[in-house]
Amino acid sequence: MIDFIQMLLSGVAVGSSYALMGLAMVLIYKTSEVVNFAQGEMALVSVFMTYLVLAFHGWPFHLAFPAALIFSFFLGCFLEWAVLRRAKTPNILSMIIITIGIEMILLGLVSWKFGADPKTLPFPIGPYDAFLVGDLFISHLEIMTLVLALVIMVSLFLFLRYTRFGMAMKATQQNPVAARLMGIRVNRILMVTWGISAGVGGIAGLLIAPTVMSPFMMWDPMLKGFAGAVLGGMTSLPGAVAGAYIVGVVENLFGGYVSTEFKSVVAFVIIVVVLCVKPSGLLARHYVKKV
Amino acid sequence: MKIRSVLAIMAALVLCVFSAGTALAQNGVTDTEIHIGQWGPQTGPAAPWGAVARGTGVLFDMVNAQGGIHGRKIVYHMFDDGYNPAKTMAGVKELQESSTGIFAWASGVGTAPGLAVKEYLASRQVPWVGPASGSPHWSEPPQRNLFGVYPLYFLEAKTLTRYAVERMGKKRVAIMYQNDDYGKNGVDGAREELASHGLELVEAVPVELTDTDLRSHLLRLRRANADCVLLWLSPTHAVMSVGTAKAMNFTPQFMSTSTCSDFPLMIHISKGLWEGVITASFGELPTSGSPLMLEYRKAFDQFAAREERWGVFFTAGMGFVEPMVQALRNAGRDLTRERFIEEMEKIQNFQGILGNISFKPFDANDPSSRQGQYEVFLIECLANGDARRLTGWIDAR
Repeated sequence: MIDFIQMLLSGVAVGSSYALMGLAMVLIYKTSEVVNFAQGEMALVSVFMTYLVLAFHGWPFHLAFPAALIFSFFLGCFLEWAVLRRAKTPNILSMIIITIGIEMILLGLVSWKFGADPKTLPFPIGPYDAFLVGDLFISHLEIMTLVLALVIMVSLFLFLRYTRFGMAMKATQQNPVAARLMGIRVNRILMVTWGISAGVGGIAGLLIAPTVMSPFMMWDPMLKGFAGAVLGGMTSLPGAVAGAYIVGVVENLFGGYVSTEFKSVVAFVIIVVVLCVKPSGLLARHYVKKV
Repeated sequence: MKIRSVLAIMAALVLCVFSAGTALAQNGVTDTEIHIGQWGPQTGPAAPWGAVARGTGVLFDMVNAQGGIHGRKIVYHMFDDGYNPAKTMAGVKELQESSTGIFAWASGVGTAPGLAVKEYLASRQVPWVGPASGSPHWSEPPQRNLFGVYPLYFLEAKTLTRYAVERMGKKRVAIMYQNDDYGKNGVDGAREELASHGLELVEAVPVELTDTDLRSHLLRLRRANADCVLLWLSPTHAVMSVGTAKAMNFTPQFMSTSTCSDFPLMIHISKGLWEGVITASFGELPTSGSPLMLEYRKAFDQFAAREERWGVFFTAGMGFVEPMVQALRNAGRDLTRERFIEEMEKIQNFQGILGNISFKPFDANDPSSRQGQYEVFLIECLANGDARRLTGWIDAR
């Protein structure tokens, strides 16, 4: 029984970083229907820049982390402005392929610049300090990730529902042409969305890097976050978070009771099953585009 | 008629190309140079091990600075294969079939990259000394041109397990292993040693290279109540295991392979948690004050790049090729591949910075004719990244 509760707890803990990645992907998908496969590597660049200023330039944490988020935001804006907006005759498929291209370029850059020895990001709290209750444990870092994931989810949810910018984003997704005719600057909406999304991804990266830091660190969380988002319906923020937690929990239960060998595959089985059985996801209200 | 003459011309051309190829293919030795090649990942996830190839280079620089070998300088060709077997093959082929060719291959990081070129080098009988991996593939079955130096991972696992059972009184040994050849060698070694004490592994948990969360793996070990856990993993996963165990208040004795014995690095990435972990080591530590190590250190200061770190992978790269340099010296001025292989076979009880190394005349049924070193010793990591030596050299066969 203790083991079962621990697996649930571990699933929720690891699910939090998936949830952050899922949120980041849903944001971009919500406005442009593009699945951004560069999400993980955008965060990766921010993480390594943070490492650079912390380890080599001696910045204090309270300066380095906000700087990292600002950097992430501008990186997201820049990529949208410099690469995606330049696409000729953009359709969704070619946009997705472009994000894969960006992913590879960023990954290559980081491996080339920082390669070699494995590292861990300096962090104010130890990644393995934990609260123990009997045999149950959860680390401080995991609790922090959990809280941040929920806070970010709620604030994004409120932001999108109750601000003019949120309405504009929704309008952009539903009909870019009409949105533009109504005076919404569609391009700017897209750019800022990329920025916010990169910021959320950057937070996920910064919370993962104290334990693992290598050029490939974001690949797994990004795919699991994506699986969670698909499960939750791709357009729903609470859906993405719930989906990510389900992925984390199922994965841990599977690893604990069935096989650790195939644990990583569970997320992809979930994607396939959801797409077959309920393609709109668990929580998304299916929006039918009127022609 | 026309077609036939075209065919004839084509056949002639093909013949020309091939014969020209063989006529040009050199054996990598000129009057003033010996060409030696090596691959090693300088980029990508396996890059930390790339220091091996750079260490070899510095040893060759030192040999050259001392006047070379019988009037010849070693010309060292190192390339980055990123631990990608396809790239290893392409690079080896390119260098081997270049105008001067490669006389012999030194070391080369990794089991998979090495396996990719093993047949190719064998078919051309190009000597290859000291692959940087403890895989049994190098000497089982033995191959005439290939001399293994790195002691087998299998033996490291046996040695560690024996120490755990006999000296530390551990009864419940478990293993976490990378789900590939490297990891499975560890499982086999631990299993065999435990069987000889009438014990069994209480748990063996595979880890995939892409796993980023090891909680459920560690939970299994905790459930199995293991009191000693072998980590046959990459450095990153090994550190993650120790950390996750600490978080769940699970405190067995951790033990690991020589690939995780770079203590300053391990202490750094684990933020101090690697303290107390016992690993195998197949060579003197970089900090040892032996005269030979001090001499190498001097060469390092003189020839290595400024940002280079004096670590165990770097010195291992020097150690793997010591027997090669010795055999080149013994072969004299009349250097051919045949002659070199004969001299390699004559190496007996060779002592450099690694353990005792001996080869024998080729015997297709005797792996020890081509596996030179069987000894390892055990070290424990201290809080500051230094190592405390726990045993003398042990041959666990």
